[in-house]
Amino acid sequence: MANKSYKARQVRRAIFERTFGIAILAMLSFWLIVNLIKAPSQFAEVTLIGLSNGVLYALIALGYTLVYGIIELINFAHGDLFMLGGLFSAHFIALWFHQTKSSPMGWLVFFLALISVMVFCAGVNVFIERFAYRRLRRAPKLAPLITAVGVSFMIQFVGLRWNGSGQKTWNSVLPHGSVMLGSVKLPYTTLISFAVTIPILIALTFIVTKTRQGKAMRATAQDQDASRLMGINVNGTIAFTFALGGALAGVAGLLFQQTRGLTSYNLGYQLGLIAFTSAVLGGIGNLQGAVLGAILIGLIQGLNDGLPIGLGQQWSQTVVFSILILLMVFKPAGLLGKQVTEKV
Amino acid sequence: MSSILNAENITVEFGGLVAVNDVSFDIPEKGIVSLIGPNGAGKTTFFNILTGLYKPTSGHVMYDGQEITALVPHKIAAAGVARTFQNIRLFGSMTAEENVMVAMHSHLKASLATTILGLPSQRREERAAHEEARALLEFVGIGKTAGEFARNLSYGDQRRLEVARALALRPKVLLLDEPTAGMNPQESSVFVDFVHRIRDEKGISILLIEHDMAVVMKVSERITVLDRGEKIAEGSPAEIKANPRVIEAYLGKGVGAGH
Amino acid sequence: MAISFLKRGEKKQKQSASARKWAVSLTLVALAIWAFFTYLFDKTPDAVQSWFQVWLPPSTINESLVWVICALGLNIVVGYAGLLDLGFVAFWAFGGYTAGWFMSGFFHQVNIHFGSMSAKVIPGIHLSFWLVMIIAALIAGFFGIIIGAPTLRLKSDYLALVTLGFGEIIPQVFTNGENIGGFNLSNGTKGISPIDAIGVFGKRLGPFDLGWKFLIYFFLAACMVFVSLRIRGGRLGRAWLAIREDELAASMMGVPLMRTKLTAYAVGAFSGGIGGAVYATHVNGIFAERFNFSISIILLAMVVLGGMGNVWGVIIGALLMAWINATGLPAIGDTFNNTFHTAINFPSYNFLLFGGILVLMMLFKRDGILPEARLKMISHENDDEAANTGGH
Repeated sequence: MANKSYKARQVRRAIFERTFGIAILAMLSFWLIVNLIKAPSQFAEVTLIGLSNGVLYALIALGYTLVYGIIELINFAHGDLFMLGGLFSAHFIALWFHQTKSSPMGWLVFFLALISVMVFCAGVNVFIERFAYRRLRRAPKLAPLITAVGVSFMIQFVGLRWNGSGQKTWNSVLPHGSVMLGSVKLPYTTLISFAVTIPILIALTFIVTKTRQGKAMRATAQDQDASRLMGINVNGTIAFTFALGGALAGVAGLLFQQTRGLTSYNLGYQLGLIAFTSAVLGGIGNLQGAVLGAILIGLIQGLNDGLPIGLGQQWSQTVVFSILILLMVFKPAGLLGKQVTEKV
Repeated sequence: MSSILNAENITVEFGGLVAVNDVSFDIPEKGIVSLIGPNGAGKTTFFNILTGLYKPTSGHVMYDGQEITALVPHKIAAAGVARTFQNIRLFGSMTAEENVMVAMHSHLKASLATTILGLPSQRREERAAHEEARALLEFVGIGKTAGEFARNLSYGDQRRLEVARALALRPKVLLLDEPTAGMNPQESSVFVDFVHRIRDEKGISILLIEHDMAVVMKVSERITVLDRGEKIAEGSPAEIKANPRVIEAYLGKGVGAGH
Repeated sequence: MAISFLKRGEKKQKQSASARKWAVSLTLVALAIWAFFTYLFDKTPDAVQSWFQVWLPPSTINESLVWVICALGLNIVVGYAGLLDLGFVAFWAFGGYTAGWFMSGFFHQVNIHFGSMSAKVIPGIHLSFWLVMIIAALIAGFFGIIIGAPTLRLKSDYLALVTLGFGEIIPQVFTNGENIGGFNLSNGTKGISPIDAIGVFGKRLGPFDLGWKFLIYFFLAACMVFVSLRIRGGRLGRAWLAIREDELAASMMGVPLMRTKLTAYAVGAFSGGIGGAVYATHVNGIFAERFNFSISIILLAMVVLGGMGNVWGVIIGALLMAWINATGLPAIGDTFNNTFHTAINFPSYNFLLFGGILVLMMLFKRDGILPEARLKMISHENDDEAANTGGH
């Protein structure tokens, strides 16, 4: 009977997906092993680069996933906020406080910058939400999406004015040099990225799971109207979420600027989409998923760009976006996400 | 009497929640039947199974001799199972006439090419479709609003438009989801006559989900009662009215004489 | 009943009369422009000529028409069917490279001539412009179907991202296309140039025959308008509008979602292909770095500005924005700077302009500058009072 055939179709589909997934994993593993055998220390270094990128992507991806979780909006402009954070940090550290090399004063300014950029980006994000997105909360889906694209362009304009149309390089206050693990170089900057990011992630987890605001966020994400009826200040909660996301993007911006020494007006667009792919890979709306997805994407990208057998950097975007497209077509819930069906 | 729509042993599970538990139900040909039950009983879920929006975890649905359980909603609609919605879902930015014409999509034959070229066959088909739409609007009593945007119609007219649109599918079965919500007794009474008219003049079988007991009793030839996903009673209005399980489901235990 | 039929007939007549009015007046304007630029322009005094060169150069007019063709294509996808496509530039690229492959000396290994204006001795594939346009449309349409088939069932935000992804991947493929497995697909960053002349009624239109090309581009744009309006008045147009508004209700009324969305996407892709081929003949070449995300956004801004779904509004929006981007900003900038002795780089403000248009239109005039009456209602029915009452 047709119901059996529907079931059968579902089972066949599941088997197909599982086989496809295993096939991809097998191919990936094969590729990795070949490269590992061919050039082990290059492999290790590239892995470290990938991880350090992944950690940055995680900070940005969290912003995407927090906002999507609470108002189901892909905040197109989020990546550009990261870029803005980088610009702010560069100016703060190098121009306003004149710190261009590693020193105790440099460290102090670095920490000041960390706090300031978080406040700055949080503020900008809250401002954007208040004036560009809030009115459109119940508008047809197209409207806030289009607005977000517009905001992205406007932020890029700010980047253009502030930083020019090309790339700018900066001296960092972080120590140069690296630690040697066997024959593998582990740069200090990578260590510092981890040292800054991990506590922040822990703090974020704490905020979301243990505080009242966190609970309010989770409730609002589930059902805005019910939360409002329960007395939750929905507007404030959403603003808080944007502030959190903004702060995270700001930290990522600071870290990127200090560890890579670059700023450019269109960094946000490029890296933003990669970070978004990470959020989707992990399961949009899921915080651990965002981090997991980001690490994976960072690794894949780093390996693709840096390994002897790989497509190379000029295909980087294609690789990442192909992953995004495949994910959305075959597994939109991502690795850790949940499937939700619309109720009529 | 044979049945036009036959649902056998339908079970629907959402994750761990059993929304519908082994319910069998049929709509007799040219019959008018109702599905009632307290909130959360699973009525709308069941409706959605019949129209193909959800797939049951087990069980099947037969329509006019063919199995439709696994079909996609638009095919089921095209086959002749039409519905209206609890919260009106009209295409507000289109006129009443266009709303009705949307439902004719599946029997119109114009292709991209014939539409662009404006071939006589396409023009003829369009004219006929316009006429059929207008006729349906007249049938439900809102002929004058044909050119108005659906969003601008009064609530009562919108409800009628939903029915007209559903009828444009040339259905054999019409599923009405709480059609009298928001109506006063006068309007409900008019509605009951309207339901009879649809069945008598167009030969369409009708299933209603309803909360208004007066309407249910007046219009139904048979009533099925769901409670917490299970069928707890089925029979004529008189039988259902007197059924203690039904009373209990609606009013709760021990309420009979107390209040 | 008879009375209501009359009323409907009247209304339909009024609608087609209005459409006819627009069509006739636009055609007259177009003919006037063509006549002016082809025959009279060189005879006008120098002052007039230089004014035009600064404020309304023929090349900008032609370029604007190319944008109109593509914007009308995007209008079908976004405006009618409500599918947010952020990667339209991919189809533009396909169209352009088709012109590059079949109207130039790129494939110098062979020598195929068919209906072309180029001398038979020149190597490469040289087909008639009209044939190439059809091929470009078919290739772009083909890829539209390939991209759309697995992805159009996604929610609008996911669909936007996926189309964006394609809008990034395809141009990157062409940019790196000099060596794909040993095969030269696109000449990479060098691009393909020159493109053959267009042949029409025996006339040979090269890169400088702007007046005649204007007429051709206008004709193509007019075809787009005609096709858009015809489809919208029929069952497919109604199905699209229904899907845009409430896709679930549409499917329950018998509208097959995937097929219908795919048709919209394919028609949009077709137009993108045509636009791309035409653009290649306008710029006399095809260069990979021109294809970037901002093109998709500019097109979106045109559709948004004009009022999604409103063909006439989109035309005005497209003409306006194309003009501002190509000529308006520099010209206004120079005038401003000369008057006030400033040195502001006006063209660099285009990001602000396009972004600002998108944001402001969505916030304040979601129905566009020429609101299609229907869209006006749907955009505002849920305007967020909650924003002011939500929370405390």
